[in-house]
Amino acid sequence: MQLRKTFALCALLLSAASLTAQSVYSGTVTEVDGATPLIGVYVVNQADGGGTVTDIDGRFEITGKVGDTLNITYTGYEPQQYTLTSQTDLSFELGAATALLDEVVVVGYGTQRSRDLTSSITTLDDEDIQRTPTGVVTQAIQGKVAGVQVVTAGAPGASPQVRIRGVGSYPGSNNEAPLYVVDGMFYDNIDFLNTADIKSLSVLKDASAAAIYGVRAANGVVLIETKSGTFDAPAQITYDGYYGVQRAQNIVKMANAEQFTRMALESGSEADISFIDNALQRYGRSRINPAVPDVNTDWYEAILRDAPVQNHSVDVSGGSARAAYSVGVNYFDQEGILDMKNEYERFNLRTKVDFRATDWFTIGGNVLWSNATQFQPENGAWFQAYYAVPIMPVYDPMSADSLSGLSNAQDLGFRGGQNPLANTLYNENRLKIRKLLGNFYVEFNLLSDERLTFRSAYNSSYSTIDQRNLDFPYFIGNDFQRENSVISRNNSTFFNQIWDNTLTYKESFGNNNLTVLLGSSYRDEQFEELRLRGLNFPTDQDAAFFIDQAETLDTDREATRDGGSRFYGLSYFGRLAYNFRNKYLVYGTFRADGSSKYQEKWGYFPTVGLGWVASEEPFFNVPFVNYLKFRGSWGELGNDRIAASDGATTTNVIVTSLGDRQFTGNQTSNVFSALRWEVVEEINFGLNAELLDGKVTLEADYYIRDTKNAAIRVNIPAIGGTVLRNVGIIRNSGLEVALGYQNSTAFGLGYRLSGNAASLNNEVRDLFGQPFIDGGSAEFRQRSIVGQPVLAFFGREVAGVYQNQAEIDADPVAIENNLEPGDLRYVDQNGDGLIDDDDRVVLGSYLPTFTWGANLGLDYRGFDFAVSFFGQTGNKILNRRRGEVIFTNDTNLDADLVENSWRGEGTSNLYPSSAGRRKGWNQRLSDQWIEDGTFWRIQNAQLGYTIEKGRFFGAGSPQLRLYLTADRPLTVFDYNGFNPEIADGVDRQTYPIPATYTAGINVRF
Amino acid sequence: MYLPYILRYTLALVVFAVVATGCQDRLDEPALNRTFNEEIDYSQSANIILPTIGAYADFYSRGWETIPLLSVRGDDVNAGGLGDQQDFDATDRYIYNKDYWMYNSLWQLNYSDIYNGKTAMEQIELYRQAGADEALAVQYSAEVEVLNAFLLYYLTQVFGDVFIPDTGDPTDLLVSPVASRREVLTYISEQLSTVLPALSTVHPADRTDIPGGANRYTALAIKARVDLELGNYQAVADATSEIINSGVYQLHDDFYTLFKTDGKLSRENLLELQYSDYGQASGDENFHLYNFYGPQGWTPAVEGAGSGWGFYEPSLKFIKFMLDRGESVRLETSVLFTDRGIAELRTDPDYQDLPAVVSNTTRDGDVINNYARALFASGKHYLPSDELTPGRTRYGTNKNYICIRYAEVLLMHAEALTRGASGTAISAEAAVNQVRSRAGLGSLNAVTLDDIADEKFAELALEWGIRYYDLVRWERFDELNYDGRTFSVPEDIYLPYPQNQVDQLPALGN
Repeated sequence: MQLRKTFALCALLLSAASLTAQSVYSGTVTEVDGATPLIGVYVVNQADGGGTVTDIDGRFEITGKVGDTLNITYTGYEPQQYTLTSQTDLSFELGAATALLDEVVVVGYGTQRSRDLTSSITTLDDEDIQRTPTGVVTQAIQGKVAGVQVVTAGAPGASPQVRIRGVGSYPGSNNEAPLYVVDGMFYDNIDFLNTADIKSLSVLKDASAAAIYGVRAANGVVLIETKSGTFDAPAQITYDGYYGVQRAQNIVKMANAEQFTRMALESGSEADISFIDNALQRYGRSRINPAVPDVNTDWYEAILRDAPVQNHSVDVSGGSARAAYSVGVNYFDQEGILDMKNEYERFNLRTKVDFRATDWFTIGGNVLWSNATQFQPENGAWFQAYYAVPIMPVYDPMSADSLSGLSNAQDLGFRGGQNPLANTLYNENRLKIRKLLGNFYVEFNLLSDERLTFRSAYNSSYSTIDQRNLDFPYFIGNDFQRENSVISRNNSTFFNQIWDNTLTYKESFGNNNLTVLLGSSYRDEQFEELRLRGLNFPTDQDAAFFIDQAETLDTDREATRDGGSRFYGLSYFGRLAYNFRNKYLVYGTFRADGSSKYQEKWGYFPTVGLGWVASEEPFFNVPFVNYLKFRGSWGELGNDRIAASDGATTTNVIVTSLGDRQFTGNQTSNVFSALRWEVVEEINFGLNAELLDGKVTLEADYYIRDTKNAAIRVNIPAIGGTVLRNVGIIRNSGLEVALGYQNSTAFGLGYRLSGNAASLNNEVRDLFGQPFIDGGSAEFRQRSIVGQPVLAFFGREVAGVYQNQAEIDADPVAIENNLEPGDLRYVDQNGDGLIDDDDRVVLGSYLPTFTWGANLGLDYRGFDFAVSFFGQTGNKILNRRRGEVIFTNDTNLDADLVENSWRGEGTSNLYPSSAGRRKGWNQRLSDQWIEDGTFWRIQNAQLGYTIEKGRFFGAGSPQLRLYLTADRPLTVFDYNGFNPEIADGVDRQTYPIPATYTAGINVRF
Repeated sequence: MYLPYILRYTLALVVFAVVATGCQDRLDEPALNRTFNEEIDYSQSANIILPTIGAYADFYSRGWETIPLLSVRGDDVNAGGLGDQQDFDATDRYIYNKDYWMYNSLWQLNYSDIYNGKTAMEQIELYRQAGADEALAVQYSAEVEVLNAFLLYYLTQVFGDVFIPDTGDPTDLLVSPVASRREVLTYISEQLSTVLPALSTVHPADRTDIPGGANRYTALAIKARVDLELGNYQAVADATSEIINSGVYQLHDDFYTLFKTDGKLSRENLLELQYSDYGQASGDENFHLYNFYGPQGWTPAVEGAGSGWGFYEPSLKFIKFMLDRGESVRLETSVLFTDRGIAELRTDPDYQDLPAVVSNTTRDGDVINNYARALFASGKHYLPSDELTPGRTRYGTNKNYICIRYAEVLLMHAEALTRGASGTAISAEAAVNQVRSRAGLGSLNAVTLDDIADEKFAELALEWGIRYYDLVRWERFDELNYDGRTFSVPEDIYLPYPQNQVDQLPALGN
């Protein structure tokens, strides 16, 4: 028994072998007509997990004993359960499924039947989520939910950006994330969860669904239920594990030494040519082309590596008549493809218990402990690798740094040292992330039949993030050195509590069905951080990496920080769900939210929804349509992630030097604004349909979502700077469609097809009377203009390249600006005969206007295969790597840009000449750097083979599933970068997204 | 059966009651880790100095781009070649781009510091009302006014007609008209006259409450600059005479060390931006980004000292002018030479025989290497590597930035007298000769306006655009047509309003 507690798998293998009074049962499975055999139907004995599949005649054989329960399941059909009696000859007739509609959907503080919903909720189950080999759950929903945009993050442990129905809050204030509710606890981020622990994930997309979460719901709500045990079920032990490798995809092809040399010569810049000469002298001449230095470094190759990823989960669940339990342990480890200490390692333990203490009283709890260590990448290296010149080796025998031998571009005359390895070799950024999540509840039945229940739930989350950044000293050159080793620590503690109390009343009288919920919720959030920095610690001993060991404590005010915040909230809410004859649906919620954050304490968030199930009407007689529901809803939501009291006049302490002595002074802010929450108002119209006996499902929604009182940064005239005020209106609207089809062929091949698509139109409607608000930077301007998308790229439009002197002479603009052939020709948007910033136009938005996903699933006998696709279009990317040529223009560029530069009449009408690239004229932000972000991708492909219980290794052997996964193996796009998924559309040093190939095994006892 | 039901209902009721009553007052808790103004205790009179120091800190934290931008158009300095900041180079050649970020930045930084200064004055006033020393309150307030005058002076020098910030609320500018340049200058002159009586008469270095703070003579010097622009030469002479007669100031002995660590709070300085590393190898450091001015490549005497970015290049015209005059220490102090620069100089047959100070090695042993961007670098913004506090490597860190010095006061004095004003202090010749004598040059018996112009060029080159604004004031526009540049009058005199400001402030559009 001791062994069993320690999850010793082999012991479990043996113990399952004790069998008593087994008989062999046999029978057939057919359609409801009783004649057409169904092939490939799963018949599983729930008692011991043993199972089989029907043959070509629909026949099966299975062992069991009296009292065991058989589960008969088949894709596209209603599942059946059957309790074995002494009769051993069985026959089953399966009816087509309408299962989707009877599914119970998790809504806030309760559940609802899918067919009663009047709002837009998409639910994913564990199978949907687990297919993606990732450490971060949100990654797994990419492409699966219409209207949810997930922007992948490539770095280990990094969270993707999730946007539900566009951008409502003004970007950049870190308040755009949806609310995640994990078993009742609120989170901004769920990177700590193990995908295998999740039972279901529901996205509450529209205001009507999310409004029960009131002031936190403005950016959408994602509800997550972790797995729990089942009463009266034998222990189910599951191991799931995979191992694989990640590999960088679509690596940007950089100009090689020959192309670089040519570019330098074409630039006509004496300095650049001298750098080539210096390289020729230092490294010799190439034998193939003696005009080129004998070096050709591919810097991306120098910093990239293949990186392993692995995951192991063991889960034990089951229950007796009174208690149900689920216990799990998980280990996940992912290294990064950036060649440095870059890794995410996580260990999770989870225990969930529900206990029926008496017939009217249930108590339970859930504890999740997550312990992760993350080594964060130096993302600057991606940017430096783009710019580092290929005429310099990675290691230089003549290097001033004898220890590492790193080369230094300054030795060739360049302004910077360039070598990205200085960054990756001499930095280590470690985070220890520990989270303890605890939920406890009691539930009383106040009336018989669970008609009136009271539930009190206390949820808490305690997390600490201990960050330790090490900067090691190096000397590669006078201006390429780090003198002091620096150790910085930043310890943050977060403690959040929520106490929910709800009263639920369910009643049916005649054809009326009613559910009423009343509740209150108290929450508080506390945060504290402490930051310290030490200089010159013993860099050669890992054990001495403490500030105590450092020579000096950095007394700089910025290095030392002690901060904290706390916030209290109190809410009352209610919900009414009513239907008449399952035909007319009425839904409403109301939430009053009190908050300590703002001067205005209370906010009120109502919603109503109406539904009509047309297919229930007696006059409804449309062939092929089994079910049809129309629904509409309206609601208001709040966003309280706006910084508390921002803009209130405050006084900051500053220090300055007076007579070489440090003096303390005060600076008082001179702008004031009272802030409050943003309000989102949304209307949603939708329909649900099932056709062809449930083989086809269709869901469609159209919404208009207005963020009012959007907290936006209002320009302060003359003095610059901005102040946050609740004055903007941002509208997101779109159409979402999800279509599914499932069927099986006569020879046992089951198949599922599904697709989803969403359009998004983001528009700034009002900015406090201002025509626009600027974002981005002066060189790379993004502007929110009324009537245009938020933070659209704003610059000039290129009409082409001046090809010859005749074109220059013919154009007064070219003469006025001393242009030459090879310079860009811009469109004179306002037609005033001048080209200046008044000719700037919106060049596109970083938000895709159309996203889609598609899935295909096949199963045949023991084999299963699933592949999913994902794509988006309509978004633009600022290729800032290329654009930053304006800051330093003697460094390397990508091969496409270099090869296709203008170099004589007719050579290019797209890119300026190498010489032209150095002129201010050609460096204005224009569509030469704004690229199309359209792409499509094979998101995930998985092939599995299942060996049923007892099939090969005797009756006691477990069910085995072996699978191979290719995650994001192919992405197709035109953009000149590693990948077209850029969260804010500005690509400077985005971590590339690797393809992941894994092999896994799943064992069930 | 009754008991459990009663128990259940009671429990549920109690829970709701606890939530409703116990948690309500939590909503009134204030946010943590902030000092709200309502909670400042203004009766702590000693704290009246805090907002004043805050205003100085604001004044010292000038953006690195602002001073180069307001100086670059002079014939003393060039932008330092192409690379990045092409529009900075274009500005040097009088091709202006209203959309260039530096223009907007200069405008915003100067105005925002002016408004911050006004907020500081409001805070000082609150302390005064709560019982702080009246005289001290008025003095501190006056000092902030002097700093604001300096900032507003440069706004009108650069942009011509600008806003006069009358109130403390920047949004008032939305409905304000733009004041003519003459109105702005008159306003500054009057403001300074108003605050004069309140100001200290102690040399900045001798002050203990605010070492290096502005005093009466700082105000007078700015007023003299403004009155020169207005043509009120008598007012100039009055101001400069008072400064000279006070005996508070004298020229620093060594022109070279004036611009090094030794010149910090020198007897010569009337106003300077103060920076320090407090003599510590690490930790707090208030610094200016001198990298912009520094040479891009060097072999410093102290290994590990960082170099600069290679902007802000003394012009060949200036160097030749200095060589023609036989200048030594002022040339050495103003210019860092590269071998490439020296070779370029020698391409002119008139400059074959060069004095020893024309060398790529400074007297402190720093070797200026060739770099692509420029031929020369600014010497007045250079701190020898051996003067860096050990442990510090940032170019020029711990160096102060001098704004107004006594030599300029002497030369303004000379100009006012030469233009017919009567002074109560020394003669124009005596003033000019003091400056010449320190530079190792012989005395002049009589000075003309040309002499003063040359002396100012030689003495104050590379400093705060003084040369450019003098040339514009004297209407010697021809001087600006050098090295292939063409200066058009009047359109090139002022920079265009930044487009960002035109977009926000309707008055600028008219």
